[in-house]
Amino acid sequence: MTSVADKLRFEPSPLPAHLETLRTEVRAFLKEALADVPVVTRSHSWEAYDAEFSAKLGARGWLGMTLPKEYGGHGRSAFERYVVVEECLVAGAPTGFHWVADRQSGPLLLRYGNEAQKREILPKIAAGRACFAIGMSEPNSGSDLASLRTRAERTATGWRVNGTKIWTSNAHRANYMIALFRTDPDPNKKHAGLSQFLIDLSKTRGITPRPIKNLQGGRNFNEVAFVDAELPPDALIGTEGQGWRQVTEELAFERSGPERYLSCFFLLRKLIDQVRDRASPATLARIGTQVAWAATLRTMSLSIAAKLNAGQDPALEASVVKDLGCQWEQALPGLAQELCELEPTLEGFGTEYQQVLGSLVQVAPSFSLRGGTPEIMRGIIAKGLGVR
Amino acid sequence: MNETQQMLEDSVNRLFGDRLGWDQLTAIEEHGFPTALWQEAVEQGITKVLASEAAGGMGVGWYDAYPVLRAAGRHAVPLPVAEAAIAEWLAGQAGVELPEGVPGLLPATLGPAQLTAAGLRLDSVRTPWGRNADYLVGVAETGTGAELVVASPKGLAIASEDNIGRDPRDSLTGTAALIARQALPQPADSVRWLGALARSAQIAGAGAAALDLALKYSSERSQFGKPLSGFQAIQHYLADLAGLVASVDAITMAACAGLDQRGMAPSGRNARFEIAAAKCRASEAVEKLTRLSHQCHGAIGFTYEYGLHFLTRRLWAWRAEFGGAGEWGEYLGRIAAEVGGDGIWPAITA
Ligand SMILES: Cc1cc2nc3c(=O)[nH]c(=O)nc-3n(C[C@H](O)[C@H](O)[C@H](O)COP(=O)(O)OP(=O)(O)OC[C@H]3O[C@@H](n4cnc5c(N)ncnc54)[C@H](O)[C@@H]3O)c2cc1C
Repeated sequence: MTSVADKLRFEPSPLPAHLETLRTEVRAFLKEALADVPVVTRSHSWEAYDAEFSAKLGARGWLGMTLPKEYGGHGRSAFERYVVVEECLVAGAPTGFHWVADRQSGPLLLRYGNEAQKREILPKIAAGRACFAIGMSEPNSGSDLASLRTRAERTATGWRVNGTKIWTSNAHRANYMIALFRTDPDPNKKHAGLSQFLIDLSKTRGITPRPIKNLQGGRNFNEVAFVDAELPPDALIGTEGQGWRQVTEELAFERSGPERYLSCFFLLRKLIDQVRDRASPATLARIGTQVAWAATLRTMSLSIAAKLNAGQDPALEASVVKDLGCQWEQALPGLAQELCELEPTLEGFGTEYQQVLGSLVQVAPSFSLRGGTPEIMRGIIAKGLGVR
Repeated sequence: MNETQQMLEDSVNRLFGDRLGWDQLTAIEEHGFPTALWQEAVEQGITKVLASEAAGGMGVGWYDAYPVLRAAGRHAVPLPVAEAAIAEWLAGQAGVELPEGVPGLLPATLGPAQLTAAGLRLDSVRTPWGRNADYLVGVAETGTGAELVVASPKGLAIASEDNIGRDPRDSLTGTAALIARQALPQPADSVRWLGALARSAQIAGAGAAALDLALKYSSERSQFGKPLSGFQAIQHYLADLAGLVASVDAITMAACAGLDQRGMAPSGRNARFEIAAAKCRASEAVEKLTRLSHQCHGAIGFTYEYGLHFLTRRLWAWRAEFGGAGEWGEYLGRIAAEVGGDGIWPAITA
């Protein structure tokens, strides 16, 4: 007699004790490196783009940590990288420049890139000197990503691309883009007609990013027009027609990390400071409940890291953590406002706390969009349970 | 799951899975304590899973024993399996051998005034399976440390009451003759912490079983020409249930492992943090676990006959027993207030 719940076991996988030395080093480094960064900027964490900070992190050997040494990486374990990532997020470090490269583009290129690409690009990623954009979503293809239409056609000299990507974070300032295009227009090959490409944005003509102002007024994501953009033959990553499988693997990296529940942790820290001297038992209980959530999500997230490290495929588990993490952290700004009865304010007005609140209240809707929505996550979980 | 866990999981699932169908659970609610089943659990070593080897137990820790605690929830077991595990573990810690029979675990810490020359004085102490108990076991704060106290329930006045799960929670009054008392190298409030941990495991188990029922029912029942499980709203309920169950399971396993490694002495980095987090999450999860599993069932789930209630009524009772989300949340909230915003992450990662 088994329970379907047995399919979703998150065995406790505490980090090996020797990593505490690394954690102490990272904390000390961040304390110093972020001393002068305004608190409101820190609350933006993985939206905040700071090439100089990323280069410093790279110089310490804390980017591309799991990449092999021969490609400029550090041959360290996924757990070591995990420690660096979670410490950066909790500290509110500006990770926007290197984030995508370190998390998914590096591992993807290591697996599917050709030798020349690996030699040229992976060392830059490890040094914190390569910013990557992800070109997946299109105006008419969001959740239904495989319906995308941007077309890459083979030419005598390589590939020619026409179409439009949208919501492409950092496309206006990134060095590279990894994009998913349609290489076979046969309508019967919805998934099989897709392929992944590496684009050097500094060398490619016919690509025009147009920043889109978000509700906060910031300009991070873009609409990207491809008009007869010519790519060299070796821009193709992996195998033609295998793009969907490759992207699914890439999304597993994107959905499994500690960022899936730590986008708002900085606010929880500030909330605790805000109420600690005058909290009623009821308020303490609400705060403690958030702490219980954070401890639970961390246990689950570490368990996924252990599975990834052991070469297993925790795609289902990752969807669960992304869904739960999103439910939890999306509710935090509202709670932080309610418990203090303070109005969220724009930067430059109100107290520091009100500004952090103002910033996170406004970005919170994006938590359930980036990397796939909860509705899509629950569809994946339901499939795992056997009902889809 | 390691080998010990797998072995325990198989044996509890076999015993309770075979012997606790809805008919049997109904009969037990009508006729009372299932002595024969208790006896079988004793013979199979299930009640002694956390006893020391000297006392005929397996000498395993809380993490290895977790499947037994969870199974007590999964099969809505109407026996003091979790209570026996706690009593045996404490007895092993104190080096006391417990009497034969059904334990009556005293949930609250006993005060020095309750321990008199005549015996252990109890004033309306609500005790799981008090009416069935062959002996009582509890932990006293004597002023100089903790003591494990074993006493006889003979002659006590018993005010019978069931919790809404229909498991006995009887109030005991009178002076219980002492059978043994022994210094305990564990905190005096141990029963409360261990009880919270055990109930979290039971909530994880009952939640998993409620999910199984919801999944099975919604795949079999059709409306609008297709199975309920074909509707996205229902699929999302099931996914939500699965995630919640997994989260309670995860933090409770982590708390068990933490308890084995660092104990629960109040000083230093101990497992109290994880235990509090586990019961806080488990109790909070009960609301959605019960609401969504019933919603997937429609009216049939509201009948006595169908039996989802054997699980959900226990979930509602366990949510409060040994402290609810508010109480354990407050415990963690006090830690947060003490260490402040800069200290909370180091506390979580310690
Ligand atoms: C801040 C930010 C940064 C982003 N960065 C990038 C990036 O760098 N690169 C990139 O490629 N994309 C990026 N995205 C896009 C993101 O991946 C998409 O927003 C997401 O996949 C959802 O697509 P959509 O916005 O088109 O919504 P839609 O797919 O149109 O969905 C709208 C709503 O309908 C629901 N819905 C859709 N289909 C179903 C279904 N089958 N069942 C039930 N409900 C459904 C969705 O869950 C959602 O709630 C970013 C988005 C944001 C907000």
